[in-house]
Amino acid sequence: MRTAPQAKYCHSVYMREHFIRLMDPNKPKGRTLFLLNIPPYVTEDSLKTVFGRAGTIEAVEFAAKPGKEETIKWYEGTGEPFSTTRPPFSFKVAYVVFQKSSSIGKALALKSIDLFNSSGECIVQTGMQLWHEEYEGSYLMEARKAKLQVSKYMAGYDKRERAAAEAAKTGEADADGWVTVGKEGRNAGFEQKASVIGRLEQKVARDHKSKELKNFYTFQIRESKMQNIVEMRKKFEEDKQKIALLKQSRRFKPF
Amino acid sequence: MLKTKRKLGKSARIPNKTSKKAARAESQEDLTAEDPTHLEQSSPSSDDGFDEPEPIPAKKNPSQSTTKPKINKFKQRGDAKNVKPPTLEEMKELRDTQNLFHSNLFKLQVKEMLEELQLKPKYTEFIDNWLESFKVFTQQLKDGLMERTHLEVPLNMTQKPTGFVFSKPTREPYLIGAAATGTLLGPKIVVDVALEMPKESLHKEDYLNLRYDQKRALYLTYVTERMKESPSYAKDQFTFNYYANNPLKPVLELTPVAKQVTKHLQVRLFITAPLSSFKPGRFVPWNNNIRPSLFNDEWDEEEPLPSTQHYNANVLFDLTLAENQAHLEKAFKGRRNFQDGLLLLKVWLRQRELGIGYSGFGTHILAAYIVYLNAQRILHQSSSSYQVARTVWNQLANTDWTKGISLAPASSQTEELGKLAAHYDVCFMDFTGQLNLCANVPLSVYQRVREEAKLAVDLLNDMKLNSFPLIFMQKCPLYSRVDNILKITNYSCVDQMLLLHSQPQFKYDYAKYGYPQLLQLLTDLLRKGLAERIQSIIPLERATEAWPVENKAPVIGKHIQLGLILQPEHAYEVLNKGPAANEDPEGAAEFRRFWGEKSNLRRFQDGSITEAVVWGTAQDAPAKKRLIVRQIVLHLLEHHLQVEGKDVQYIAAELEEVYRLSPWFKVNKLKTKLPLDQDTDAEALSPHVIRCYDELARQLHGLNDLPLEIVSISGTSAVFRYCEPQPVLPQARVAGSHILTSHVQRVIIQLGQSGKWPNELTALRALKTAFLIEIGEKLEAQCRLQWVLSAEGLLVLKQGFCFLIELAHSKELALLKQEVTERGVTTYVDNPASRALERHHYILPKVSGALHSLHQTHSAFGPTVLLAKRWLATQLLDDGLWPETATELLVAHLFQQRQAPQAIAAPQTGFIRFLQLLAHSDFNGELFLLNFNNSWQEQQIADLEHSYRSDRQSYPALALATSYDMQHAGRLWTSEQSPSQRVLGHVTRLARHALEIIETSLMSKDLRFVRPAQLFRASNEGYDLVIQLKPDLVPNSLSFDLGSPFVSFSQPNFLLPPAGADRLARIVRQLRSAYSDFAAFFYNPHGGKELAIVWRPPTEFAPKPFKVTELHACTPCENGKVQVLKETLIEDFKLLLKDFYLRIATPEELKREQREHQQPKRYFNAKQSQEEPKPQAKPKKQKVRKDTEQEAPPKKKKRLIKSSALKALN
Repeated sequence: MRTAPQAKYCHSVYMREHFIRLMDPNKPKGRTLFLLNIPPYVTEDSLKTVFGRAGTIEAVEFAAKPGKEETIKWYEGTGEPFSTTRPPFSFKVAYVVFQKSSSIGKALALKSIDLFNSSGECIVQTGMQLWHEEYEGSYLMEARKAKLQVSKYMAGYDKRERAAAEAAKTGEADADGWVTVGKEGRNAGFEQKASVIGRLEQKVARDHKSKELKNFYTFQIRESKMQNIVEMRKKFEEDKQKIALLKQSRRFKPF
Repeated sequence: MLKTKRKLGKSARIPNKTSKKAARAESQEDLTAEDPTHLEQSSPSSDDGFDEPEPIPAKKNPSQSTTKPKINKFKQRGDAKNVKPPTLEEMKELRDTQNLFHSNLFKLQVKEMLEELQLKPKYTEFIDNWLESFKVFTQQLKDGLMERTHLEVPLNMTQKPTGFVFSKPTREPYLIGAAATGTLLGPKIVVDVALEMPKESLHKEDYLNLRYDQKRALYLTYVTERMKESPSYAKDQFTFNYYANNPLKPVLELTPVAKQVTKHLQVRLFITAPLSSFKPGRFVPWNNNIRPSLFNDEWDEEEPLPSTQHYNANVLFDLTLAENQAHLEKAFKGRRNFQDGLLLLKVWLRQRELGIGYSGFGTHILAAYIVYLNAQRILHQSSSSYQVARTVWNQLANTDWTKGISLAPASSQTEELGKLAAHYDVCFMDFTGQLNLCANVPLSVYQRVREEAKLAVDLLNDMKLNSFPLIFMQKCPLYSRVDNILKITNYSCVDQMLLLHSQPQFKYDYAKYGYPQLLQLLTDLLRKGLAERIQSIIPLERATEAWPVENKAPVIGKHIQLGLILQPEHAYEVLNKGPAANEDPEGAAEFRRFWGEKSNLRRFQDGSITEAVVWGTAQDAPAKKRLIVRQIVLHLLEHHLQVEGKDVQYIAAELEEVYRLSPWFKVNKLKTKLPLDQDTDAEALSPHVIRCYDELARQLHGLNDLPLEIVSISGTSAVFRYCEPQPVLPQARVAGSHILTSHVQRVIIQLGQSGKWPNELTALRALKTAFLIEIGEKLEAQCRLQWVLSAEGLLVLKQGFCFLIELAHSKELALLKQEVTERGVTTYVDNPASRALERHHYILPKVSGALHSLHQTHSAFGPTVLLAKRWLATQLLDDGLWPETATELLVAHLFQQRQAPQAIAAPQTGFIRFLQLLAHSDFNGELFLLNFNNSWQEQQIADLEHSYRSDRQSYPALALATSYDMQHAGRLWTSEQSPSQRVLGHVTRLARHALEIIETSLMSKDLRFVRPAQLFRASNEGYDLVIQLKPDLVPNSLSFDLGSPFVSFSQPNFLLPPAGADRLARIVRQLRSAYSDFAAFFYNPHGGKELAIVWRPPTEFAPKPFKVTELHACTPCENGKVQVLKETLIEDFKLLLKDFYLRIATPEELKREQREHQQPKRYFNAKQSQEEPKPQAKPKKQKVRKDTEQEAPPKKKKRLIKSSALKALN
């Protein structure tokens, strides 16, 4: 990979046809090129430009390392509007999906990935240029545009919500025979939250406990005493361990 | 337990012997490895708190057979070894621990330390042998006349040493002090041996005019000379030294060469005299034993001669030594608990450096005090060592020795004691009732000891604390416990003071020894002048150096160093008000006399007209106010002692320069209504920002027609808690659609409750954005403030400050945490993103508030943080390597924890303590807990510590916790990456080095205090590569610049970047995220213009086999292996830093160049440099930039590159 025509030291990118047993539908067999060791500053667009010479490209995707869920992980939370999450800046792998499988051969025949255009300028944005772009483009937001975006998104959201609420109210089984149970309505179930469930479970346990007699049988008293001693010893042992640790780090020499 | 009970049931029926057998048999039956004797002992343990119910045989017996299988069942269930019945010994020990020690842990720690301190038997053997041989040696001494000696007598003598008649000692030499009481303390063991002069060698007139001391010194010289001649000591090293810096008390320091003790042991030989040598009562404090005529002074015959109580005590020390020693020995012999207790106290005292020198509180006083407490029946014979130490501290803290206490049995007459005590500051009479053991201890030192003792008791009482390291392990050098230091080392100055200003009675009393006279003179003057501004004045002494016996005795006591502990409530008052001129004319005149011309008659608002001295104005910056004490001290010295300011060193606030405003920046060019000085600093500028923020908060609260009310507003930037080390000036302004500013102050707001917020993260964020726009529009309409929306929040410009308003909503946090488990249950689990958000929106505001209030109580907190942050920044550690909040919390820890009786009042002292904290902390073993409002309970702390210990790996290298982050305790403020183990180690080393520099400069007689540049500039060594950035693209910080370690000063620029864009930080963050496997990046976040790089160890760059998952940045090399090439990485750096970097070079190259730069420029040099290829040969892309001001046009850049004679590493 070259960033400038006369570059002396450059990164070596390894590529081959993407082929694994469990294929991902987004990376179809025969049309996907798999690239290793892509430097952090390379973007999807720049790869599109470079491999566009070999054929029309459907998609370019990155991942931290080869693997099934890695691509999803890489892009997690980045596509959403109003989110500041960006994909990580590090060395990565890339998947280039061509429209035709014939493009793979052409791509593999490429001697070098030239990240510069005909005039020798680098097509990867870096330095001041990139910074400027980022600041203007994504850090600053134009209030008017943002407002429009918000109202559009919220309209969509409201629609979805309404539909869900509607579904919950009607309480009819869908095609698979599932009934949506909301918080409202006649058949409202309790919220499936860990805290709610925990509280319920606690209550049951408490009820159990209140019925139980703890100091009734002699063996119970005995056991509780025993427990007490065990705990004291445990504490003593712990303290001893702590001292041993401290001793290792020579913390007992005052001078 | 179970078994015990069963057995008890049996033993009630069966006679004793058989029960033993039965028990044994049973225990074997149970196949447990229990000691039968233990079983037996456990039978009487019913009174040990384990209230065993009395066995009732008749009822129990039938159940026996049924219980047996149960027991076995239980045993098989697991922890069989833990369920042994408690033995009597164990119970006793546990109870002892509870009663006699503070806790198990404390006891164990004390035990370990005492073991560490235990003297090895080889030393005790050696001491015994040595003493035996010395006894033999002294017996062989013969009476004789000392005609001449080739040794110098270790005393400044008035008469010739010749003609001294030596008479051989009649009493065997004996051990005194620590060696006698069995409390010798390493690492250098000093064995004190006393040799008694016989009565015959002293004349009855010898009490007068130092004749006794001369005889003593001559006797010492004679013995030393004979020892040197003796073959058994010939190889030993002989030196003289003064005992306790007292020039009248020379002792012989002998370092034996014997192999078994080399260098670790030293014998000190004291010469004493029997008590009966002089008439009893000769040395009572009110007698005069040094006549004025000795110094050729005239004395009015009519007047009574001045008493020489200190000199008398000095002689009495020798005379009473034998008897005192006998008593001490009797009390300590064979009592390990007393000895250990004394050892603990000694360690405690030595760590605090209070026992050093002439005015020191010696350990012999502590030993005597233990005996005293024992005699008073406050301390019991069987007290544990811990109880001994604790009782001594308690009694020290709660009794007053100034009225006098006495060890003498017949000291029931209190009038006598009162009369004695009147002559000294502190009075503790010895066994004979004649010598005051504390004769030389000044009141301030005694009070300091009391305060320390009180602190020790308090620490012990605090169950939430592991007080052991604080009391015994932590070094607390006295210089780091005082706020300001006055150092007078100028010889002529000292002489002049002694000659002109010291009163004659002191001269006689101290036998013309300069040091105590100076101490007396200065402390009296300063205490009167500073009154309630100070808590105490403590002398800082160093022990005198020993000198070879052939050399002349050095003159000591010609310099003095005093530490001042300030009283922060009063120290910074700008006014000293005297008595009203019309009501108390005498007092006014006296006041005028005392303050000299500084005192003026002033009329005050309440109508009174009084004499007053004014040291500044109420509006002065805090840094200036902190120097009022310095002003006063220097004025008093000049006015009363004619000592000029240049002859003394007053050490205060030297380092505070580093957070001042850079002198390059001219304040008067700034358009602002605020009153600003050119010499202002970050500390003085913070209140302006806070005031502006308060106003903004008021405006926000007052906004009309918002759909939801704003319920809380909190500032989270460092400046709101006085912790911003870079001066923040009202510079921010609007340019086009941008706000330009170098600092953005973050403000978090929370809205009132509403159930209508969406349940989806993106929708919630969208609504938040809408809300912010609403707030912005309202602010513009109602308050006429300009605003810009950014991805992080709302940027608002107000009075030249830029605020970033963020909206916090608890639902956002909940949604981030939300997860649905496989069972379809919604749970809320912490993840990195949620943790960051929680810290930023919820915890940081609280901590910020707590730190703000900490600054209100301790005004030195803020400036200390500024110093600490500046120091870390100048060591090229930025926020990514060492989180800034970690610094703040560590300093807060210093202020919160009571490591010293007084809180820190001077930022410089605070900084020294911060360095100490970094240098001596055991980061691996200690978790720093900031218990604001004491909200952590004892049990919670114990749990946390337990988890920390047992699960150390899951905590970051530096673990910090506050009251507000209990769920995340220890993991919220720092992470595994910042600071990493490496950085932590690096910082520890840097702190040790810095401390060393400070300590040497403080303690040396001649050196001046360190210059800030010595500390606040990183070393340029150890870095592999330096990327120099274009100086005109990186704005300078407004803080006082002490220069970069790599290049010389360049023209600073104070360009304002757009708000919220720290380019350098962003780039470095990128570099770190991509290349931290290969290199570490360092830069100074306060306007540094170089990026220093350290490559990771060469193993990272070694060829390795091809592996798909480990191929990052690799290039193929031979044998099908791959390898990371540094050159490729450098190319990457260049690409990423395009337009930013000037060149890349090694530090050595830069150093060489700097040297060349300083050389006069020659014609051919300049020519050569112009011919060199430029790194920026590529044509520049045109960039669309409206704000041309922040980035210089390309043309200018080129010119700059040309003009600098630099070589590019291409």
